[in-house]
Amino acid sequence: MMATKFESQLSLSRPYLTRLELQEAQNNTVSDVRTYLQRKNVIFGFLSELCVHFQFPRKTLETAMYYYQRYYIFNKFESELCHTVATSCLLLSCKQVETFKKANELCIMSFKLRNMNNYKQDAIESFKKRLFQIELSILETCGFDYRINSRVHIDEYIVKLGKALKLNHDICYLAWIIAYDAIRLNILLIVPQHAIALGILKITCELLGKNDMKNMNNFNEFKTEIDSVNEAYFAIVNYYINAFDNCSLKDNLPTHILPSVNLDSFIELKKNAGNDRGLKELGEQIRKSDKYLTTARDFTQIERRYVLLPQFISDEKTALGEKRFKL
Amino acid sequence: MSSSSSQFKQLEKLGNGTYATVYKGLNKTTGIFVALKEVKLDSEEGTPSTAIREISLMKELKHENIVRLYDVIHTENKLTLVFEYMDKDLKNYMDSRTSGNSTRGLELSLVKYFQWQLFEGVTFCHENKILHRDLKPQNLLINNKGQLKLGDFGLARAFGIPVNTFSTEVVTLWYRAPDVLMGSRSYSTSIDMWSCGCILAEMITGKPLFPGTNDEEQLKLIFDIMGTPDEQLWPAVTSLPKYNRNLPKKEPKDLKKLLQAHTKEIVDDQVIDLVTGLLQLNPDARLTAKQALHHPWFGEYYQQQ
Repeated sequence: MMATKFESQLSLSRPYLTRLELQEAQNNTVSDVRTYLQRKNVIFGFLSELCVHFQFPRKTLETAMYYYQRYYIFNKFESELCHTVATSCLLLSCKQVETFKKANELCIMSFKLRNMNNYKQDAIESFKKRLFQIELSILETCGFDYRINSRVHIDEYIVKLGKALKLNHDICYLAWIIAYDAIRLNILLIVPQHAIALGILKITCELLGKNDMKNMNNFNEFKTEIDSVNEAYFAIVNYYINAFDNCSLKDNLPTHILPSVNLDSFIELKKNAGNDRGLKELGEQIRKSDKYLTTARDFTQIERRYVLLPQFISDEKTALGEKRFKL
Repeated sequence: MSSSSSQFKQLEKLGNGTYATVYKGLNKTTGIFVALKEVKLDSEEGTPSTAIREISLMKELKHENIVRLYDVIHTENKLTLVFEYMDKDLKNYMDSRTSGNSTRGLELSLVKYFQWQLFEGVTFCHENKILHRDLKPQNLLINNKGQLKLGDFGLARAFGIPVNTFSTEVVTLWYRAPDVLMGSRSYSTSIDMWSCGCILAEMITGKPLFPGTNDEEQLKLIFDIMGTPDEQLWPAVTSLPKYNRNLPKKEPKDLKKLLQAHTKEIVDDQVIDLVTGLLQLNPDARLTAKQALHHPWFGEYYQQQ
């Protein structure tokens, strides 16, 4: 918004973006996708280790992974900084899901896990300052919109939905293991957690040859729809097809439930899925003209305001008059 | 924020909170007054978790008895929450009616109207799986139209699943439920209902019902009036972490007599029944917000609806 006396930028939150929208936005921030993905795997391991050390529940890790990936939609990816960003994501996640930990302790462990053992207190202090700066940027990147991380998380949904669908313990347990792999994926940025949980349960039923979710096309009861569930389904199946060697499922397979699983198991699932696809994408032209995606965030703008409801924007738009309005 | 470079003109200071300073503000574009809550960033811990919780929960809550959070502003290294402006809080309002040293309560018709709105707001929170956890007159905001709205969600939290790991450091002492004072960590919506009961009594008399200065004194004041709980009245009370077996056995006092002593109006049996339902020592026996809304004391409101 521009005016003669003050400058203020008003943004409406968009907590989820489609796969192609994410790609469009990351054209501005990620110059080398391969490096970004490699580092993301490293960071997932690093955050997992931190969570194990502090005995955080999985929701803390899930929320941190959401923040980490969300941050790099609108902020330039620099591989040297990613451990700092990740530590900051975990700090914020702890506050968000109420698994509190002192920033000092997180900093020290973040150093130790990277074998930086000869640190001085000064280094911790300056690292902490950096974390706090990034923390604000993460909040801003999310548009201060916590609808995504403040309630029920994927593993909790698996239990709840498993019960609602009367799925047996084995299915839910295997789904819970698969869910750990899912939280490293950018599907967290695309569809809500309950749709991801349903996608995981569907994969699990199929891996175990169970028909419990076969022909299930209507998910209204669970406040989602088939396209979102399929989006999650294919994101996870594709992950296993592309990176089976690195997955956690391979190393933690409960053989009493599923004797073996391999790359072919997932290729088979994809083949059987036929023509089903995930979310529908808008046309390229629309994406290219979407300033939310194509314009790099102007963090030099002195005052940046974030709202959740379009109504607040339209109220100001009306008050300001069309001519002076510029988002 | 106060400079011409901002969308908002900062006006007088309204108060200091635990993690923020609140100013009155004016949206220069729309001409609407707002409350600007400037968050103090902690040099040891960064953005306060209370601010994060308040933003996350209040952005979801849209109800006429809950203060609206319009937007969040990030200005260099400062965070400001922009809230709907309210003229004063219930504490100020009650204080302003104190004459000399003698406190007096509000008119019962006004108490009823405020309490009704309080229950409407709390019902909405609870239906949306949110506990306020810090209900007190200072956090109930009122405007010149007589509307009452719940504010300050800094201690609030969502209670999806599970609910057994909450902190016991919630709710200002005077409005804190006995189960929380005795160390229960599995409280739920009943924690807010106890506070509602304390607030109702305070509005009637103009003075806090249980003004304790520490946990032990707080429990003593509660048991002095409501009676000492036992297993028969409150199963499992003896297994609460801070249950004290040596507490003297007290019988409940006559609430009607107690409240009537501080007000000139007739305190009828229905309102006493409501206060009693809210101030049940056993959390499971306490009225829910929805039940409270349907209490006969509010009968005249249903007839209007």
